Amino acid sequence: MATRSQTAAVLLAGALALAACGGGGNSQAPAASGGGGKTLVIDTSFDLKTADPGRTYEPTGLIVGKAVYETLLTFDGADVTKPVPALAESYELSEDGKTLTLKLKQGATFADGTPVTADDVVFSLTRVRDMKGTPSFLLDGVEVAKTDDTTITLTSKTANPALPFILPNPALGILNSKLAKQNGATTDAQDKAEQYLNANSAGSGPYTIESFNVSSQVTLKANPKYYGTKPAYDKVVLRNVEAATQKLNVQRGDSQVALNLSGDQVTGMPATLQVKKTASANVIFLLANQDSAISKTTPNAKFVEAVRKGVDYAGLLELAGEGSTQAPGVIPSQILGALPADQGAKRDVEGAKAALAASGLTNPTVKLEYPSELTVNGLSFQPLAERIQANLKEVGITVDLQPAPVTTALDNYRNGKEEMGLWYWGPDYPDPSDYLAFLPGKTVGLRAGWKPGAAKEIEEAGAKAAETIGDDARKTAYADVQTKLNAAGPFIPLIQPSQNIVSAASVTGLEYHPVWTVDVADLGAK
Amino acid sequence: MPPLARFLVRRVLLAVLMAWGITLVTFVLTNLVPGDPVAANLGQRALGDPAIVAQWRAEHGLDKPLWQQYLIHLQGLVQGDLGMSQQSHRPVSQDLAEFVPATLELAGAAILVSLVLGVAFGVVAALRRDRLSDHVLRVLSLIGISVPTFWLALLAFYVFFYRLQITPGSGRVDAALGGAPAVTGLQTVDAVLAGRWDIFSSAVGHLITPALVLALYTIGLLTRFTRSAVLEVLGQDYVRAARAKGLPGRTILFRYVLRSALVPIITVAGLAFGSLLSGTVLVEAIFAWPGIGQYAYKSATTLDLPAVMGVGLVVGIVYLVINLVVDVLYGVIDPRVRLQ
Repeated sequence: MATRSQTAAVLLAGALALAACGGGGNSQAPAASGGGGKTLVIDTSFDLKTADPGRTYEPTGLIVGKAVYETLLTFDGADVTKPVPALAESYELSEDGKTLTLKLKQGATFADGTPVTADDVVFSLTRVRDMKGTPSFLLDGVEVAKTDDTTITLTSKTANPALPFILPNPALGILNSKLAKQNGATTDAQDKAEQYLNANSAGSGPYTIESFNVSSQVTLKANPKYYGTKPAYDKVVLRNVEAATQKLNVQRGDSQVALNLSGDQVTGMPATLQVKKTASANVIFLLANQDSAISKTTPNAKFVEAVRKGVDYAGLLELAGEGSTQAPGVIPSQILGALPADQGAKRDVEGAKAALAASGLTNPTVKLEYPSELTVNGLSFQPLAERIQANLKEVGITVDLQPAPVTTALDNYRNGKEEMGLWYWGPDYPDPSDYLAFLPGKTVGLRAGWKPGAAKEIEEAGAKAAETIGDDARKTAYADVQTKLNAAGPFIPLIQPSQNIVSAASVTGLEYHPVWTVDVADLGAK
Repeated sequence: MPPLARFLVRRVLLAVLMAWGITLVTFVLTNLVPGDPVAANLGQRALGDPAIVAQWRAEHGLDKPLWQQYLIHLQGLVQGDLGMSQQSHRPVSQDLAEFVPATLELAGAAILVSLVLGVAFGVVAALRRDRLSDHVLRVLSLIGISVPTFWLALLAFYVFFYRLQITPGSGRVDAALGGAPAVTGLQTVDAVLAGRWDIFSSAVGHLITPALVLALYTIGLLTRFTRSAVLEVLGQDYVRAARAKGLPGRTILFRYVLRSALVPIITVAGLAFGSLLSGTVLVEAIFAWPGIGQYAYKSATTLDLPAVMGVGLVVGIVYLVINLVVDVLYGVIDPRVRLQ
């Protein structure tokens, strides 16, 4: 009895195992044939809410938006220092910086074949502004009007030289207004078009949406009616995959691009893969609260100087891995007005000790708060905080680490209650004016307890930079703001961690882009 | 009313009562979570505008007292309306209809494998008690129970997919194939319905590794339970009598031993299925499997309350249905249960 039933069980197990192997083997068809293939598979950790351009503000959503919708202006490759024409064939900013005039390109059509008109532009931009979605602020105070069938004017109350840098944001993609209106689009908070736009394309971009799922997969297919250069891939699949799995997938050839690998994960990649390491546009910084109700220590300017001189920037770069760079100011290296690399702070332990002595504080202890589980470009805040703690110990400052889950930490940060904080800022749009948020009384300034009027000279420099027109003049003005911020502000810019993109050898034309990470229509096949 | 029918009616009524209890518990627990869904869902700059915040609250019924919210929720449930997901901006029922089948397919495959292997291993171990095969199977089942599933998932993915290259990668089917038109939501079944054998074989291939990984724990559990249940029955007088009477071993095993041992096995299998369904979060994450695990995680982290309640309700109801099925099976297998 025993023997027979045992044999049966073993046979059964064997059969199952065989079936298992068989199935696995059969379905071994590669996900996409790399060279000259029709399908491109991109793995990324999804940060996605919607495919409605007017509501998009998450990295994955911007990749989708860039592929499906076109904007009036765009950037050429990874260069974000100069906006170039897209749906608009030319643009001109008035001398006072208040009026931006755009001439529309002729012959552009939406995916259903209807031409892109000035009315579509006015509707789309007004919708984004008045629907009060996440990206509405991009067009705060901007009036959109049609001058004639091919001319659009954008008017701002005050000089707005950042506008040409804002317009390429995929959130400002132009919708087929007739189609969108038929499906519930309006130019106020009553808009109901999102569900439709999550399943259909109403844009003029090189791709259309084939399927859209916020938590697993987005499939794009080439727009047959696209009037511009046809993209190389017929189909692009974006999959939501954990970083560890992304690495194995791209190495095995199951995907062609992996977007979210950390510096550690890309070391030792086989030569058959391309690894692109570029400094990301995220700037990690320290803040020292200037509100004396929050801290008796951190508002002391000499204390801040001691911290600035006490941090070992080279050591932080080592932690962040190859491709990362020191941030000389709050504006990242890609963006107009960034300080040159040699102006970054350097470690000077003696100087730091001297500054601490001059501060009148003896053996100060400060709390450093940071999000414990947040990673920026695969880099965790925990080791950075520990390194800073060790650095400042040498200077004579005791740092009490206070990690917290991001939702909790964010609360204190946003309410300006942190004595010291370790955070990062990614650009809302690639223009230096976005960094005026660091000035007294502004978003990030307030988080550091820096009230309006707290630093007159810096505020004046900021106000002047905001109104300055012309690339060269702006470059100088923003460099001046940052130099002053570095000298007397509560922020200590640390590093820009590296963005690591791994791709199959067959994929060409891959560039890391600070706004939309990667433009899938730019990718070619070899 | 015949005893079996009366037994069934009683069980079903009890299940309905418990389903109502689940709605109450999920609602209360979900609304106890600290954190503001408004802050989690509106943009930073929109948050600064009180009118928008108020409108958003009104739109999602958050301006009403909690008991009213519950009544509205209950009223919706009766009509099959689970509310709108704040993250996907689609009805929660539509989201669940998309994600639940993926998890059901995975958990179903896992339970199938576990039942076959777990019971077979348990029987073998019991019949070969204290011999080498028994020891080996017991050690293996212990390993199966002790190894953390997420670690096993990573290991399996690395070994079979990456190193040996015998299994396909992430997702339910090859990305380029796209998948069969949804009828049941079960990729394998839909592929057969559509006559797409390429999709079918891809779907089966994608199913194997995650299902086996998930099954390992249940296999270990079932092996142990089956072994002890069979051993217990083997020691009973009626089995000894049957053996003394000279009945063939196979008859004794299937007609007497297994039938009696089946009750505890079904209990364990039922509970295991429930925990598979709710415990697939990490396996789904590693294999990029678009099931409710990932949906639940995303809903919880974005404080998408209707979605969290929807997931809680589905998992609760699945447990309920399993318990009902297990109870009914008891009644079918063992007539004594019906009379109690």
